[in-house]
Amino acid sequence: MSDIMLEIKNLHVNVADKEILKGVNLTIKKGEVHAIMGRNGSGKSTLSYALTGKEGYEITKGEILLDGENILEMEPNERAVAGLFLAFQYPIEIPGVTTMTFLKAAMNAQRKAKGQEELSTPDFMRAVKKTAQELDIDSSMLKRPLNVGFSGGEKKRAEILQMALLKPKMCIFDETDSGLDIDALKIVAKGVNALRNENRSMLIITHYQRLLNYIVPDIVHVFSDGKIVKTGDKELALELEKQGYSKFDEVS
Amino acid sequence: MAVRLKASEKILYNALIKAEAQNIADEFLQSGLPNRKNESYHYSDLKLLLDNIPDILENGEFSSEPEFNIAGAYNIFINNGRVEIAKKLPKDVEIGTISGTVFTPENDIVAKLNSALSKESLQLEIKGNLENIIYIEHRSNGQASFINDNIEIELLANANAIIIEIFTSSNNSHLSNHASRINLAENSNLTHIVLDLSAKENRHLYTLTYEVEKEARLNSLIIHKGANLARTQLFAKFVGENSHADFSGLTLAESEQHSDISINISHAVANTSSSENYKSVVRDRAKGIFQGKILVERDAQKIDAKMMHKGLMLSDDAQILVKPELEIYADDVICGHGATCGELDKDSLFYLMSRGIAYETARAMLIKAFLAEIFDFVENKNIHEILQKLIDDWLN
Repeated sequence: MSDIMLEIKNLHVNVADKEILKGVNLTIKKGEVHAIMGRNGSGKSTLSYALTGKEGYEITKGEILLDGENILEMEPNERAVAGLFLAFQYPIEIPGVTTMTFLKAAMNAQRKAKGQEELSTPDFMRAVKKTAQELDIDSSMLKRPLNVGFSGGEKKRAEILQMALLKPKMCIFDETDSGLDIDALKIVAKGVNALRNENRSMLIITHYQRLLNYIVPDIVHVFSDGKIVKTGDKELALELEKQGYSKFDEVS
Repeated sequence: MAVRLKASEKILYNALIKAEAQNIADEFLQSGLPNRKNESYHYSDLKLLLDNIPDILENGEFSSEPEFNIAGAYNIFINNGRVEIAKKLPKDVEIGTISGTVFTPENDIVAKLNSALSKESLQLEIKGNLENIIYIEHRSNGQASFINDNIEIELLANANAIIIEIFTSSNNSHLSNHASRINLAENSNLTHIVLDLSAKENRHLYTLTYEVEKEARLNSLIIHKGANLARTQLFAKFVGENSHADFSGLTLAESEQHSDISINISHAVANTSSSENYKSVVRDRAKGIFQGKILVERDAQKIDAKMMHKGLMLSDDAQILVKPELEIYADDVICGHGATCGELDKDSLFYLMSRGIAYETARAMLIKAFLAEIFDFVENKNIHEILQKLIDDWLN
């Protein structure tokens, strides 16, 4: 078995006929945590949407392999079943669907797609309760409509809760630190760190180094104008913080 | 000057003459069926849409079982316009029927046709805190028939009741014209739910009138799901202070259905309030219409009325037409209206799918979420289940 979790080869993506990603190459091994840093508008979020298959993100060239499997032709839900998970920068509010109903639908949809039996209600409740407790999520929050009226911190914790329950093998965090104060950030980071293991890989997309103090990456990439322009270890994040992004603009 | 009557209108005219409703027949000769030039029928041109009028027939096979068994309900059937009442009456209810033409307060030719052509009018008088739900099932059965029925309900002071009216039909091209007139006396409280579940072949016209007196409370819900042509016109008038009503409705329309809910809310006295909350979901080539008018009269100060219509279009050929209107003559009121219309939110769909939920399931979840709030207020578990199932069936 290969030790590679995610392989992105020469990925070009258009949004509304404009080329946003201009040849991204990235290989993430099993168990590794990578960070992509780049300023706003460099195409970081486009990468996360292209990976998860959002409508309107047109792949014009390149390949994406998840655990050796080509996912480009898959629907977003099939990619989720294959083990991909995106923690949204702005989790969507859905009035009329309670968080519990949504969690159960998502967990059972994935189990069904994998040919497993649906969870019994007591098993489901137990799993949710335990994980919610660890993430400091109040049970009243679970009864409310999904993300409706949640604070920034609550929304991000709800994302981590979903991740913990769905047990993906490749997690993408899109600007997870945005809108979080330091306490909320620590809770979220703790939740993420608890999910790190040798079979699960993570890609953290951010433009601040701050989050990386709490979720320490193995490898850091600098993203500029639709591609990766430099790769290094966690020290690269600190260097970026000190010197800014402009130094890397010339490289691209 | 008389208009030139179409063949279908001549049938209606002759029916009026036969029913000895000379005044209404004379008026009908002047107007004919309402068409798009009549403002309130602009989107439902009956002259065009009602192309054949069947004979008035009363025979048909009628089951003694209701469409829905609601625990503790008192069942009344109206079979092709004929009222059937069980002998044993619940406590606090008086029931009777009146034969022949009844008076209609609305200046509307469809309501007038109903009042002239109904053979019987069901009369209900409710006092006290009613334990039984009143369940009224209107049935159009047998071969295609032109059916008129009529109900008058009086909630006496301090009465409290739940009334549910269901329309059903056989798979024939009936034309049914119904009317319910409900008076809520001082401090009475009514939940009134109306469901059109008639067959696709049916044409369904319904005139619903409420008069709301001092300190009365009304919860009104109309659901259109069945008939190929359905039009409900609602007239509500607040005539006593400190009264309040919540009006809501839902249109589920598919294939070639034409579904029109038109409401006229009149705040005639001060310190009255209402909410109007309607939703339409259409697919295939269906057409959903909502017209809402709130009138606040000159001396009716301190009125609070908010009207909202939300539309959801599930296919390219489906249509939703919405016309909200406020007509305000008082100067110290809070009135508003809003309307939204569109497809399912793409970001919400993507979010659900990104968690592994398949497209069809995600879509159904979002539509259900959109619809669910309409009957959140229904506390009766039996009725809530009926409404939930109605939506689930439509979605599957």
